[in-house]
Amino acid sequence: MPLIRNGSEKTARVLRQALPTLASASADERWSAARAARDPSDIPSLAEALVHERDARVREAIFTALARIGASESAKVVLPYLRLNDANTRTGAMDALRAMPDACHPYLPELLADPDSDVRLLACDLVRDAGGAEGPRWLCALIETEPQANVCAAAVEALGEIADTTATPCLSRCAERFPVDPFLGFAIKVVIDRLRHVSPAPRG
Amino acid sequence: MVDSSLLDAEEYRRLCDYLYRHTGMAFTEARRYFVERRVEDRMIATGSSSFASYFARLRTNLQGELESLINASTVNETYFYREDHQFACLTSNLLQERLRMKPRGETMRIWSVPCSTGEEPYSIAIWLLENWAEVDAHDIEIVGSDIDTSVLEAARAGVFGRRALMRLSRALTDKYFTPAGPEHWQIIDELRQSVRFTAANIVERAETRPHGLFDVIFCRNLLIYFDDTSRRVAAENLYESLAPGGYICLGHAESMSRISSLFEVCRFADAIVYRRQPEAPHG
Amino acid sequence: MADRKMRILVVDDANLVRLYYRQILEEAGFEVEEALNGIEALERLLVSPPDALIVDINMPLMDGVTFLGALRRQALPLSSIPTLVTSTESKAADIEAARVAGANFYSAKPVGREDLARTMAMFCGVPQ
Repeated sequence: MPLIRNGSEKTARVLRQALPTLASASADERWSAARAARDPSDIPSLAEALVHERDARVREAIFTALARIGASESAKVVLPYLRLNDANTRTGAMDALRAMPDACHPYLPELLADPDSDVRLLACDLVRDAGGAEGPRWLCALIETEPQANVCAAAVEALGEIADTTATPCLSRCAERFPVDPFLGFAIKVVIDRLRHVSPAPRG
Repeated sequence: MVDSSLLDAEEYRRLCDYLYRHTGMAFTEARRYFVERRVEDRMIATGSSSFASYFARLRTNLQGELESLINASTVNETYFYREDHQFACLTSNLLQERLRMKPRGETMRIWSVPCSTGEEPYSIAIWLLENWAEVDAHDIEIVGSDIDTSVLEAARAGVFGRRALMRLSRALTDKYFTPAGPEHWQIIDELRQSVRFTAANIVERAETRPHGLFDVIFCRNLLIYFDDTSRRVAAENLYESLAPGGYICLGHAESMSRISSLFEVCRFADAIVYRRQPEAPHG
Repeated sequence: MADRKMRILVVDDANLVRLYYRQILEEAGFEVEEALNGIEALERLLVSPPDALIVDINMPLMDGVTFLGALRRQALPLSSIPTLVTSTESKAADIEAARVAGANFYSAKPVGREDLARTMAMFCGVPQ
């Protein structure tokens, strides 16, 4: 019979027990330290580490730790990273916020009114998972006056998933405001069709 | 013909978009009947009076409804040689790749998590014995872990019914099992003793770390049931438990695209698997 | 001349955008596949490489710029698949990042119907 042996502990490579710190020169140690952070009291050091971190994997671990803690402060720390030029970091921030919908929720109205249209656009996507009962109302309000077609498109995408037939009038008005945009008209038509039979969900 | 569908075209599309976004499962028109039956079952189970109210429940994941729907939509039975194309990949590619990179003589370590009642880790053992020409030349350790200690008890006992063995040939059953009562077979002692079973919650780093580093991890049909945060944490723990250059296999309907960006995608003839990037040469 | 239809892989996390592109491209005679982000795109193209790619920048888990970098590191022929990058981002930095990462073309959203069909035809070497 062949050499399949029952596990002997000494064959397992022991994971390093070095004391991990977020300020370590070693990315592995910083990664380890980020992953050990579980308490709201860790948020300030995570926030500080995030500012300087250049390693994508460590940055992701910091975002995960913040999402796992899931406090309102966690969301507050992550929000500014939505504004960055770097797509990778922006994505990391979005993923983290999506993973903490409750923490994210109170900030949404402010984000939907942000002076930066790129931020408003990302906020529409967050409303899908974090908007709760107010989500459809917030997005409908946005598309009444939003000047950027792409932001409206993101809102329409989200409404397609979370709204009901009562959103149809504001969707139609939005389509009228952007008669030339090739995509928005298409998107609004599809969503109106989708929501046609979706009556407001009964409570309970 | 009267359209007696549960969902109209647009409701179906809305549901499919949602499921695609969250789980990666892509349902086409062709699968509509299947999906509707699952949704109908869940609507009855949750007392939802309309698709709208059910979809609202699904979207807020009330009482883990998304997981319940996924559960209902995938085959969850465990049996020997399930998704064996990944075992084929193991012996055709993964082990060779690992041997190229490992120090000579170092044990090849394979983790099956969740191992449930043991079908998967025992399948790996049997597959290696049957399909890997070099199996005698290397030390191989197989570990099976699960959060549920009652299934671990069953796994250690190694007794299985007919359904679990349905994909094994008569020859394999005769070779590796002994009869253990009517319609039950027990895996032979040699194999029972060659798999180590442990309790582990993969979301808890304190429970995964002590297992050390593995060359190949099978984590099939588990991560998709977690919420976003738990999924990320579990993925990090699994990454940490992989040797650099080590491989992880998910369930055939699962993808890292909904789970984590930590791993590299690798395509082999038999399967798509994921890899922890190898250490840089200068170490 | 190719007998088979040219295949385009659309990579965008917005389902309405994917639907929009699908309608335009199918009408123009292309076959369309979809992926929600860069990781799914890599999986699909490793199994069956498309003739051209349309890639958005903002997507969960793996953004378009990161995906492009991963694509260009693959072996041929994958690494040379012509790619149109689209984005709603208004910052010039995004265009530059996309070009550096290996985009062949960059287009701000919304992409016009004719522009899309024409660009894909050009990428695939089919007459329009």
